[in-house]
Order: sequence, then structure tokens, then C-alpha cells
Amino acid sequence: MRRRLSFLLAVLLAGSYAFGQERFRKSPPVPDRLPELNLPKIDSMRLSNGLTVAVIYIKNCPFICAQLTILAGERASPERLPGLAGFTAEMLSRGTPLVSASDIEERLEAIGGIFSATATLDYSRLSLLFLDEYLDRALETISLMTLQPDFSDRDVAGLRFTQRYEMLQEERNPEFIGRRQLLRALFGDHPYQKGMFGQDVFRNIRRRDVLDFYQRFYRPNNALVVLAGDLNLSAAARKVSRYFSTWREGEVPRLPTPAPEANGKQRICLVDLPRAKDATLFVGNLIFPIDDPDFFPFLVLNQALGGTPNSRLFMNLRESKEYAHFAFSELEFYRSSGVFSVRARVIPSACHAAVQEILGEIDRIGREKVTTFELEQAKSYLIGNFPLRVGRLEAMTQRVSEIMSFSLGDAYWSKFYDSIMLVDADSVLGVGGKYLLAPPVVVIVGDKAALTEYLQEFPRVEVYDVKGALLYTMLKGVEE
Amino acid sequence: MSKRYLRAAFLLVLAGCLDAPAAAAQEDLALPFPVSSYTLRNGLQVILSEDDSLPIVSVVLAYRAGSLQEQPGKTGLAYLLEHLMMFNGSLNVGPMQHIGYINRVGGEPNASTMADLTYFYETVPSNQLGLVLWLESDRMRTLEIDAAKAERWKQSLLDELAQRAASEPYLESSLAFDRLLFSDFMHNHGILGKEEDIRNLTPGDIMDFYAEHYAPNNAVLVIVGDISLPKVRALTERYFETIPPGRDFPPPPRPRPPEKKSLVQMFPESLAPYPAFYLGYRVAPSYSPDYYGLTVLDYFLLKGKTSRLTRRLVKKDKLAFFLNGGIEKRGDVAALKIFATSNTQSSADLCQKALLSEIGKLRLNPVPEDELDRAKNVLKRDYVSRFSSTLDRAMFLAEMHFSPVGLENAPRELGRYLAVTPAALQALCFRYLMPENCIIMNVQMR
Repeated sequence: MRRRLSFLLAVLLAGSYAFGQERFRKSPPVPDRLPELNLPKIDSMRLSNGLTVAVIYIKNCPFICAQLTILAGERASPERLPGLAGFTAEMLSRGTPLVSASDIEERLEAIGGIFSATATLDYSRLSLLFLDEYLDRALETISLMTLQPDFSDRDVAGLRFTQRYEMLQEERNPEFIGRRQLLRALFGDHPYQKGMFGQDVFRNIRRRDVLDFYQRFYRPNNALVVLAGDLNLSAAARKVSRYFSTWREGEVPRLPTPAPEANGKQRICLVDLPRAKDATLFVGNLIFPIDDPDFFPFLVLNQALGGTPNSRLFMNLRESKEYAHFAFSELEFYRSSGVFSVRARVIPSACHAAVQEILGEIDRIGREKVTTFELEQAKSYLIGNFPLRVGRLEAMTQRVSEIMSFSLGDAYWSKFYDSIMLVDADSVLGVGGKYLLAPPVVVIVGDKAALTEYLQEFPRVEVYDVKGALLYTMLKGVEE
Repeated sequence: MSKRYLRAAFLLVLAGCLDAPAAAAQEDLALPFPVSSYTLRNGLQVILSEDDSLPIVSVVLAYRAGSLQEQPGKTGLAYLLEHLMMFNGSLNVGPMQHIGYINRVGGEPNASTMADLTYFYETVPSNQLGLVLWLESDRMRTLEIDAAKAERWKQSLLDELAQRAASEPYLESSLAFDRLLFSDFMHNHGILGKEEDIRNLTPGDIMDFYAEHYAPNNAVLVIVGDISLPKVRALTERYFETIPPGRDFPPPPRPRPPEKKSLVQMFPESLAPYPAFYLGYRVAPSYSPDYYGLTVLDYFLLKGKTSRLTRRLVKKDKLAFFLNGGIEKRGDVAALKIFATSNTQSSADLCQKALLSEIGKLRLNPVPEDELDRAKNVLKRDYVSRFSSTLDRAMFLAEMHFSPVGLENAPRELGRYLAVTPAALQALCFRYLMPENCIIMNVQMR
């Protein structure tokens, strides 16, 4: 009896906080109405040399972000020189005939600047964030870099070394290797394949190649400048015109990019990364380009399937089965295509089972309607997260640069909420059935020696080294 | 000390004195955004800042709880509490549910532990402010902990410790250098804690630390974004005012003058892939009069691609391929720390000599104005970027609240950095960057 009493006392004590608490503490409050999203307007105009200038006005912003986009990316690199677009963009900050690379660095830091140069499959971009009192000096420096690059042999050789070293570091990262292998398998012989290069490509890049790419594509009528900050279009255009008016327009090669074919049969690829502790998985297929009307329902589908830890993949592979450290699905979009992929890191012994679960989840969302709860949860996330994503100046500038580069329109900007609100379970099922029932490519990155035992369960596995060279094929775990 | 040094030192003391009234004469300034504050009956300080440019709101709840508050044998507690409060759940919120609630509405939750403070923070659509305050108040009020949960999270911390020890080749030497630079336990142990201490922590230790430090009167709640002030006041009172206060917290210790010592030591590092060295000086503590000039000196020497040491050691002489460092604040003490790695031992030796020679030059001559201006603009960029987003602003306000500066003097801070002159910088080098105050640790590959 005494034991029972003491147990009762313990329960009462433990529960006293719960019993004593105010009612409102027991459950989350009902949210207020969703506030309206009033994004800044995008104003734009075209200068006489064909350069498009756009401005996003943000009151009292202490910084300005300037992004110059050249509408030619790795797709425009020659067949024999993949990686040339990114290399050329990087070379621009390496000085002019009169201003050295270190002087450029000093100019950038003197205005509190942060500079970056990148190339995607479709475009190349220079981005500079700086203190807003230095607009003139910033535009002068960008124009120096863009209009008068030196491309000296010495600097080309220096960048070759740096790029190779950086790529060497990347090739130790299972996520980089896995994603590259997936895109190589998906794009096959398509021109986008040129974006998935390795460190060896840098050996062959010479000054004349960089100059040739620059002369062919770096034209004002093939470029746009987006400025975000406390400034208006007419003042900004005047200043841009002042520093870029000597940039001569010219003929730019138009490179038609057909839509690549989605993968037709299931492929399992293993990339051998000795001493990797876990197995990193990528499962994916090609989908539609960014301006397709299926974009918004597919965004909701992706969210329900694997956008956050609340989504199906994470809940299944990590929380329920305990196979994975994480499991998410992701989307990448280009002018002529898009890529849907699942990314997961799993324990080696669960490699086969995890792949089966991922394939099962992809198949399920392609055949069955999402529940009302999942649909609303996914839409709530996408709507709530949108202003957070564009909240930072660089992110906002980049988003607007993309909208303008791909001529995307208001549905991707000020009407984003409406675009998501209109999605229903039928449209999600529609895009799922349309794009996710084709067999995907599976890439496993891990230590072959540790994984071989578990790979026997796959009928056929292509085995690659970290650079992407096919070593051999395994049938039921046996080398063919 | 040579005669030349003595004369320069005298002139610099004079220069330092002349700088002070100029700073004091600064006019009243305001932060470039509105700020208001109030205190709840239980002692919780609330700071609000409106910004309706986007329909979002950021909430930071910062507690004066970090590694500085840990006792010998109980290290790792603050970091462990961060994990428990993030993932483990509280009376009305189950394990992992805090993150789930925030993610579901498109928000982003996170937390971080520093030497003196632990921050919990979220950014959400502004109609979900009530949800965040409900969640934060629940974990301030209660923490669900039992032996099994304590063991699980201790193991998670030990795994992280092992993972970092395996993947960070200079971790061991970095911790050893901190023990040389800061001689007392309070300042010289790491946030991650020691393995044996973590193993020995009991649920009682965890609950005691929680009860002692995670109380409303030891915290500040900062809310920045698309808010209505009366409504937020009502919400903060509803969710937080009935939470009982903790014990009376003594004011934080007064900043201490740095102890001076000089030492050169060798440390064999089992994982080090390259020769390396650490070099440090104990300097004036955060927000003391000299702190502003010392921060500018940090930028001048180490921050950005064109900083003095980067240009000399990495770019021009190519003696180091990696160089970083800066002022490290640990409550009432601070140090300037520099770390460099080189390809060979002889490069590392030359690098150390070149570094000391560059610091010696700073004592001899004032730095050029244009080079100093460049460093100050990089600093200004980093400082102003702390106002960039609603979350950045909320973190800044929380730090200012707990600093000796206080919110009322925060608008003058940037001006203090930008007013530093070449002469003041030279004076600081004489005061702090002297051979008799220099601690060096050479890392030897095993």
C-alpha cells in the first residue's frame, strides 16, 4: 500500500505542472490571417547598346547588390573544353592591362565589396555586394573587369592551378561526386553534359580559348544588370550607361538546346569512394524546364515527398526505418530541362533497402493522391518560406536575375502565393504520374569494399571511379 | 626598449589621449531601425523592432548561459542543453516537434552556443508569431528530461566530439593553445566539453544547470519584423509573464586587464597534415575603450583578401597557404589569435618570423591612411550586414543587450570603430602586441 501511495504521490507531483498550467499552454495558438506579400516592383529598361538594366527598390538599404548576367553558361562551352564558361567568368577579376588583379581586389574591398563569379548551365554571373555610398566606384570596377579583361597567360595558368586544386577537394565530397554522376547519366550526350566536368578539363584551357568565349558571348545585347538597393531606375540606368556605354553590341551565336529525353530504363551506378563511412544515394530523373506550367504543382509534390524533415522520405527512411541520417528530394531547373532527385545518406547495410524505399515512395506519389493534410502542409511551407528565401539582398537579386533571364513573369515573383494556392491534390497527382513513373537513375557513392555484400541484391550495377570512368559492371555482385 | 621605441611610445600615448575627447564629443545617434523595450514582472527583458518590408518575423531568445558558466568536471553542459532544448521536447511539445511546428509553416529554427550566451531563434511568417512564443515559453518553463533521454543526448554529443576530433586535424592543438592563452579554467575550456566530463554528467547535473540559467530573469527576448507593438506586448505577457523567475543573478564580472606572459611551446599533433603555428596576444576585453581599435587592427591584419598579413604571408611571400584569426571574446577577457599552416617546417618558421616582423613594423610607423580606410570599410560592411535581415538585427540587439555597451549606446558603436586613427592603432600595438605578451605554439606533425 505504501508503495502504491508513493507512486500516486510521484504521479501527482510530476503532473502538478501539467494540471497547474494555463489552458492556452496545452496546444499551439490559432494563427492570424496570412499577411499579404508585397514584394518590391521590378523596373527595367534597355540601354542603346542592348544592355538590359533592372532595379529593385529597397528603401533605407545600406547595401547595393549588383549582378551582371551573361546569357551563356556551360552549355555554350565548346565540346572539347567543358568548364570554359565558369573559367572565363572567374578570369574577369584577374585584372586588366592597366589594373592588376591585386588592385582589383583592393578596389573591391575599399567599397566593402563581396565579389563572386559563377557559371550555371545557362548563364554566367558576376555578383557584387557593396556599401551603398559607393555605387559609382562599384560600377566602374565591374565595367573594368567586364570590358577590359587582360586574360594574361600567367593569370590563366594561375587560375588553372587554383581550379584544379578546388575541384580535387570537391572530388572528396560524396555529395558532389554523386550529383555529378547522376547528371552525367541523365544528360548522356545532351549539350548540358558539358556542365559535369572533372579536374582534368582545366589542363587544356588556354588564353585564346578564354578570349574566344569572351568575344563570342560577352556582349551587352546578351547580358542584363540587376541592381537591388535604395535607388531608382532612371538614376541607376544613367550610371550604368556611363560605365557600360562603350561596350559594343555584336552578333551572339544562338545555340538551340533541345529538351533531353527522360531516362528510359533503370540504372544503378556505384561510385567507389574508398574509406567512405556511409553510402550517399542519389535517385533522379529529368523533368520539365523552368517555365513549364507544371512547375507549381511539382513544387508542392516535391515538398510533400521530401522537402523537409516532416516530409515522407525523411519520416520513412530516418524516423521509421532508421536507415538514413537524412533523406530529401530536390529540384533543379534550367532553360531546356529540369532535374528531380532524392538525396540521402544511409548506413551501408541498409543501402539496398533504402533504395527500394525511395523507389517505392517515388512510385507511390506518382500513383496516389497526397492527403489533404500533406497538401496543406506542403503549400503552407512553400508560401511561408518564400519571403524568407528572398529576404536577403543577394538572394532577392539572384531570384530577379533568374526571372529576367528565363522571362518567367509575375507567377514566380509577386503572384507566387496565388500560384501555390491554386495547386490541388489532382494537379499534384497529374504531374506525379506524368514525370515520376519513368524508371530513374540510382547513384550510390560509397566504399565498394564495404558495400559489395549489400550490392548483390541489385541485378546489375555499373561501377565507376571518383572521376566518373566506368570500371566494370557487376551482375548480382559478380564482376561481369 | 630602444630610444626610438620610447619616443614613439610617448607620442602614441599622447595620440591615444587626444583621440578620447573626439569620440566623447560624438553627437547622439540612432540605430537605422526603430527599437523599443520593456521588462516583464518576472524580469524577462523584451526588445522589439518593427519592419514591415516583408511579412516575416524573427524571434531570438538569448540566455546568459555558455561555457563560461560551467564548473570544473561539468564541461559541455551548455552545449548539451542547447541540444536538449532544440530536440528533446518540453511539457506540451514532444521530441522533435518544436522543429516540426516551425518547418510546417515555412519557418526556420536554429540555436547556437557561445562562451557567454546561448541563442535560440526562429524566423517565421508574421502571422505565426504566437506559435513561436508558445514554443519558446514552453521550453523556458519546462524541460522533459530523464535518465534515458540524458544518455541519448550525451551520446550524441560524444559522437560529435569524436567526429570532430577525426575530421579536424588541428582541433587538439587549438584547445591546447586556448589553455596557454587563457590561464584559468573558466575561459580556457571549449564549448564542446571534455569527453570524460560529458560521460559523467547526470540528469541531476543537467536539471540543475537548466534551472539555474534558463530562467526569464537571465534572458532577453528580441522580436523583429512585421509586428504590431500592442499585440506583441499582449502575447509576450500571456506566454512569459507567469513563468517564475530564477535566483537573483549577480551582474557579470567586470572586464579584466589582460595578464601578460610570453611563452613558446611545441605541441605534437597526431593528425596534422602540415606544419602550423598559433600566435596570440591577450588584449583588452570586449567593449573596453581599447577594444574598438583592436578590432580595427584585427581587420587590418587578417580580414579580407587585401589585409596586411594575407598579402605578405599568403600572396607575396607564399609562406603560408592558410591563415586566419582575429579577436576572440570570452566574456570579460579577450585575445588576438592567429593560426597559419605552411607546406614545410622551414616555410612555417619563416612565416612566423615574417609575421612578427610585420607586427614590429606596426609599432615603428603609423599605417597608411588608405590601407586603414580599406580595412575599416570591410569592418563597416560586416557590421552593417548585422542589420541586413530581421534575424541578423534580432541577434545584434540581443548581443548589445548583454554587452556592457547596452542598447542605449549601441548607435555609437560603429562610429567608435570608424574613428580609429593610424596613431591610435600604433599605440595599441605598443600596449598589447609586444614580445613580452606573445604566446606561440608550434604544431609538430607526429
